[in-house]
Amino acid sequence: MATRDSLPGPDPSVRDRLRFARQSVGELVPTPGEGIVGYVFLLPAFVLFGVFLAFPIIYTFYLSFFRFNGVGNDTLLWIDTGFFSYRLTSIADLEFVGLANYTTMFSDSLFHQALFNTTFILVVQVPLMVALALLFAVALDASFVRLRGVFRTVLALPVSANLVAYSTVFLLMMQDAGLVNYILTSLGLPAIPWLTSSFWSRITIVGAVTWRWTGYNMIILLAGLQNIPQQLYEAAEIDGATRIQKFRYVTVPQLRPVLLFVFVTSTIGTFKLFSEPVIINGGGAPLDSTITIVQYIYQAAFIDFRLGYASALTYVLIAIVSVLSAIQLNVGGDSDA
Amino acid sequence: MSRITLYTVRKEFGSGGDKILAVEDIDLEIRDGEFLVLVGPSGCGKTTTLRCIAGLEDVTSGRITFGDRDVTGLRARERDVAMVFQNYALYPHMDVRRNLGFGLKLSTKLPAAEINQQVEDVAEMLGIEELLGQKPKELSGGQQQRVALGRAIIRDPEAFLMDEPLSNLDAKLRSQMRTELQTLQHELDVTTVYVTHDQTEAMAMGDRIAVMNEGTLQQVGTAEEVYRDPVNEFVADFIGSPSINVFDATVDGARLDGPGDFSYHLSETDPVDGLRTVRVGIRPEDIQLVDDGIELGVNVLEPMGNENFLYATLGEQEATARIDPTNRPQPGESVSFAFDEAALYLFDPETGASLKTKRDGVVPTTPDSIPNREGVESTTGTGPDTGSNDDQIEETVE
Repeated sequence: MATRDSLPGPDPSVRDRLRFARQSVGELVPTPGEGIVGYVFLLPAFVLFGVFLAFPIIYTFYLSFFRFNGVGNDTLLWIDTGFFSYRLTSIADLEFVGLANYTTMFSDSLFHQALFNTTFILVVQVPLMVALALLFAVALDASFVRLRGVFRTVLALPVSANLVAYSTVFLLMMQDAGLVNYILTSLGLPAIPWLTSSFWSRITIVGAVTWRWTGYNMIILLAGLQNIPQQLYEAAEIDGATRIQKFRYVTVPQLRPVLLFVFVTSTIGTFKLFSEPVIINGGGAPLDSTITIVQYIYQAAFIDFRLGYASALTYVLIAIVSVLSAIQLNVGGDSDA
Repeated sequence: MSRITLYTVRKEFGSGGDKILAVEDIDLEIRDGEFLVLVGPSGCGKTTTLRCIAGLEDVTSGRITFGDRDVTGLRARERDVAMVFQNYALYPHMDVRRNLGFGLKLSTKLPAAEINQQVEDVAEMLGIEELLGQKPKELSGGQQQRVALGRAIIRDPEAFLMDEPLSNLDAKLRSQMRTELQTLQHELDVTTVYVTHDQTEAMAMGDRIAVMNEGTLQQVGTAEEVYRDPVNEFVADFIGSPSINVFDATVDGARLDGPGDFSYHLSETDPVDGLRTVRVGIRPEDIQLVDDGIELGVNVLEPMGNENFLYATLGEQEATARIDPTNRPQPGESVSFAFDEAALYLFDPETGASLKTKRDGVVPTTPDSIPNREGVESTTGTGPDTGSNDDQIEETVE
């Protein structure tokens, strides 16, 4: 049997000393703690988050107190090593204006128009879409409906439609001599100025957005419906509830958290409406009656280059959406399901 | 309160080739104010039968009447029954007060104050007054159980239908609620159909027990009737804990030869006349350990405190005996046993039908001899030998 002393190599005492030395050196060199290693792995995500989310959020707020006068040319940092020189310039040439960007909004009629348009679309579209989604979801959840899988797929299919592509199709269908008016006139009904009347052009947007998002919300509501225990309906039936009472006293309260989610996300989505009005109605035509808030922000920022004002508008939009969501959560979310 | 009658009730699920027969042509009468327990193994159709009575399932054929009212085509909400579900099915978004009052709110025109008063009365009766403001998820299992009961009681329905209401409770609470439920049912005197798979619960609670198997009704009777005088081997085996010992024996005149050295001379040979083999049944408590008798090999001894369960082998056959706690044979030992012929059960080897049941002089209680049953009409008694007590209804299915 090989003992310690019979092993080949240096004298055992030398080996011991070597090992001791290795250990003490190991203790001297700082090893990264587990926490640090974890953060290293998280770094890519943090960097991406910081550069593309956190920085813009903060910088937009900063910008909203300035007037943008062009790309920056001021030197912030100059490094000259003799071999090469490096100059860091400011991002933009800014002029501090205090709260002027915010006060301007009070007298900006185009902003008021955009706010009105968006609110109009919101008030008509969100309840209509949620009601439709709920109707389809309840219908698909009913046991007597056949071919449920097929209907579910067909109703959810618009979600996969590309925003630009479907908006273009709507644009074509809604032309004065388009498919929809062709059908209307074939049926002996008057043609409707879908794109040229202020009122109808908003309705067109409502229709397009509803078509695109009803299926998506229906799937969410359907999942919520299927989570309601069947026995609650049976208990309600025994308690004497009619079909409508079951819907009112079991389905709606049980579905409340899901309905709330659908309302909040739809409200936020509609406030961020951009592609559809841009493609279907061009620049908010007719007469700015379809221009939405985000579209107006886009115009201010990237067409008029009023970056400071656009930033202020962005923050106002965030404030409006936050307040609306808070109200919805307060009204709908106080009682648990 | 009313009598519930099932006339040849049949329930099939699915159609065509996937058809499943859940309940096969059941005839059953549940008397006014009676506590009837539907018992049977999983999948025997007892819950489906209950749901047919409730109106939660349509019957495929047959009729159901409450008193003189035919309810076969009525929806559950039109039948005026109350149901307690296994997992209680309380409305999670309503507090206890609204859970209790919901049925009254929907099915009556009572003013809110009156409903509130009734809610408080029922809550007081069940001792849950302090829970009225709470949501179901804040309650313990036993408290939820009480709320579910309260929700049934407050409606003052024609019948209580209970689907394994105690099975989600722990053992101690279960036996406590068992007594409470019985007391409550006796006080309210409402016709009750109670479904359970637990034969102990069935025997303890039911005025009468209806034993079901594979969709058919096997036997209806008091606990003692189904225990002492089962109609067939299935009922004998299902009722009683530990289960009855049953094994094959060959018939040679008056002599029965079974597994191991089992051999017995019948003094009464009528039941086995003309048979070459027979199924022999002996209840565990009828096995008496004696010095000289049939040999049993001891496998396991389970002390229960008041008695010992002896698990042994009789030839190749497993056998169970309930013996005196002072008697402690060790595994590996052999013991001898004897039994009274009066306690012997004999079953037909082909059909399982009883040829002979316990005849030890104890007269089983019949539903009419049960005290405090004012609602029960004194019609013909259901003695052990009368298979039916109603002209139209045959309660025992062969």
